[in-house]
Amino acid sequence: MATESLNVKELYEKWILDAKTKLTEDNLVPRVKEYLIGQHPEICGKCAPCRDGVIKLEQLLDEYIDGKATIKTLKEIERLTYNLRASRCSVGLDIGKNMEVILDNNYHVLYKPVKKY
Amino acid sequence: MASITINGKTLKVKNGTTILKAAEQIGIEIPTLCFLEEINEIGFCRVCVVEVEDEQDLVSACNTEVANGMVIHTNSDKVKESRRATLDLLASKHRFDCWRCPKDGMCEFYDMLKEHDVVFEEFGPGIGRNDETIYGTGISQDLSKCILCKRCVAVCQEVVTANVLKFRDEDPLNPVVSPTPGLAFDESGCIFCGQCVKACPTGTLYETNHVDNVEDLLLEDNYVIAQIAEEARIGLREEFGYDMQDASFDDVFDQALKMIGFEETVSTGVGEDLHVRALGEELYQHMEEKKEEPLLSSWCSGFVRYSELYYGDNLDQLSSLRSPHILQGTLLKKQEHKAKDNVKVVSIMPCTSKKYEITRDELKLDGEQAVDYVLTVREIAKMIKRRGFDMSNIKVQDKKESPYSETRKSSNDLLGNVLAYVANKLNVPFEEPKYKVIHGERLVETEGVIEEATVKFGKAKYNVLRVSGGNAVKAMYKLLKETKKTYLFADVSHCASGCTNGGGQAIRHNVEMHEILKAREEAICAMHASTETTTNEFANNVFEGFFAESRDLLETSYSVKEFTKE
Repeated sequence: MATESLNVKELYEKWILDAKTKLTEDNLVPRVKEYLIGQHPEICGKCAPCRDGVIKLEQLLDEYIDGKATIKTLKEIERLTYNLRASRCSVGLDIGKNMEVILDNNYHVLYKPVKKY
Repeated sequence: MASITINGKTLKVKNGTTILKAAEQIGIEIPTLCFLEEINEIGFCRVCVVEVEDEQDLVSACNTEVANGMVIHTNSDKVKESRRATLDLLASKHRFDCWRCPKDGMCEFYDMLKEHDVVFEEFGPGIGRNDETIYGTGISQDLSKCILCKRCVAVCQEVVTANVLKFRDEDPLNPVVSPTPGLAFDESGCIFCGQCVKACPTGTLYETNHVDNVEDLLLEDNYVIAQIAEEARIGLREEFGYDMQDASFDDVFDQALKMIGFEETVSTGVGEDLHVRALGEELYQHMEEKKEEPLLSSWCSGFVRYSELYYGDNLDQLSSLRSPHILQGTLLKKQEHKAKDNVKVVSIMPCTSKKYEITRDELKLDGEQAVDYVLTVREIAKMIKRRGFDMSNIKVQDKKESPYSETRKSSNDLLGNVLAYVANKLNVPFEEPKYKVIHGERLVETEGVIEEATVKFGKAKYNVLRVSGGNAVKAMYKLLKETKKTYLFADVSHCASGCTNGGGQAIRHNVEMHEILKAREEAICAMHASTETTTNEFANNVFEGFFAESRDLLETSYSVKEFTKE
C-alpha cells in the first residue's frame, strides 16, 4: 500500500502540477492502471460512475497491456473518463480530472496501438 | 425566490427547491432511478444528472437545490451521454434473464435502458454483481440483479422501520444490499411486508415464489379453491388494464381461474365478516373485564410479526383471533368440503406477509396448513398472462352461488363494524366515530397515519385508534407507552393506507402514489353499495355453530420471535 501511495503522489506531481510532463510510451498504460488501483481505498462505492467506472477503466487498460485494444477501447476509456464528471463526490471527480489530463497529454500514445492504417 | 433558467425557460421558484422539482413545475421530466420522494433523495444512481452553466461537473437534480441565476440544461449532449454511460455501467453488473424475472413487464430499469437507447459497447449485459440468492418465507432477494440504488434500504428504514436491509460497503468496489450477511430474511427481523419489493426498480427483491407450487397443485388430483381478497380484486383489475371500479372483470377473472384448473373461486367475505363478529365479541369481553390496556387488531400479519419481533412486551394486547383468510380456509377445509380429502386452498392477496403467516405452526390444523399457498396479485396475473388468454373474449359461465362467493357484508370501516357490534350488544345506539389525524397524513406513505376518535357507548366514552404505516405503528406503541389517556382498541395495518397498498399489490410507475391509493380506496368503497353493515347470517351461524365447538380453530397465540440484531 505504501508503494502505491507513493506512486499516486508521484503521478499527481507529474500530471497535475506539471501537466506538460509526458510519460514514456512503454510505461504509460501500466502506470495509469497502477494509479487507478491506488485510488481503490478512497472509493466509497456509492455511485456507479466512480465505483464501476474505475474498474472498467482498469479492464480497458488491461486490453492495451494484452495487446487486444481497439479503437473502441480508446473511445470507451474516453467515455468513462468524461462520465466521472457525474460522480457523487470529489474522489470520482478528481480521478476523472486526472484521467482527462492523461488523455489530453497522451492521446497519441493510446491512439498509436489502435489505429488501423 | 430564485430566478433560474431550465432549457432556455426562465422561471421563479422557492429557495430550497431541488432542480428536479423546479423542472417538474414547467413540465420537464428529468429521469430518476434511485429517487423516492421524501424517502430516498440521495443522488446515488447519477441518472438524474444535469448540466449547470459555470459548474465544471454534472450535478444530480434530485438533491441539488436551485440557486439564483442558475442556468440548467437537462438534455444536453453531455448529459445524455453521461446518463447512457452510467446506465451502461449499471447494466454491466445486472443479470439479464428478463424472461424469467419476477418483475418481467414492470421493470423500471429495463424501461429506462430502453428509453435511453443504451447500447452496450465494450461491456455487454452482465451476469450480475453477486450470484447469491437470499431466501425468506415471504420475500427473497436475487443479488445478481441489484443495481445498488438503495431504495429498498430507505423504505425498510424510513417507511417500514424494520431496518433489515442495509447497504454494506465493507468492500466499496463491490457493495451489497442485504439483510444480515449469512442469514435468511426469516432470521434477520424481516416482517415480509413487501414494501421493498414494490420499491425495487429491478427484480432483485421479489415475493417468494408460490406460482410453481400452485401449478403443481393444479396438475395433481386436488380440489383447489381460490379465495380472493377485495383489495386483490382491485389490483387485478389494474393489472389487466381494466378500470379500478369495473366489477365486470371479476367474473372474467374467476372464469380464467377455472380455465387454468381452479375448481372454485370465492371471496374472503365470510372470513372477514366472521372476524368482525368474533372481534366484536372479544372487544365486548375486553370491556367487561375493564382492561386498561387497549386491544390491538390481529388481521394484519405484518403487524403481528412486527410486534412479535420488536414489541414482545405488548403481545398480550394483540387480539387472539386468526386472520380472516385463515378462518375461511379452515371453514372451507373442515366444514364446507369436509367430505373431500384433497381440498387445497390458495389465497389471492395483496400481501406478501400472508405467505409467511400461512406457515405459522400456531395456525395449522392437525399439522396441515389452513391455506396452502398465497399468490400475490402480480403472481396470479403472471400465471394467467402466461396462458395467453384473451380476457376480453372469455365467456363467463353460470356462477355457482354460495355464501362464500359474496363479498363481505361489513362496511368499509372495519373498526366501525366492530364498534357497532359492541354497541348492539350493549343495547345502546351507535354513532359513527369522527376520526382526527394525530400523526402523519392520510394517503401519504412516509409517515403513515394515526387517526383517533372517541366513541360513545351510552354514557361511557372510549378512545379508539386507526393506524396504518410502519412509522405510525412505531409512533402508536410510543403513544401507548407514554400517554395518560386510555385507549380501548386500535385497528392496525403495517402498510400505509392498509391492504390497498400491500406489498403484493399491482406495481404502477409514473403515477403519483397518493393518487393510486385514493383511487383504490374509492374502488373498494364502490364494491359495497351500502355504507351500512348488514348481518352476514352465514358467518354468524358458523361463529355460533362450528367455531363455538372448535374455539381453538378461531384463536391463536403469539410468542416473542428471536432474530439476530446487528
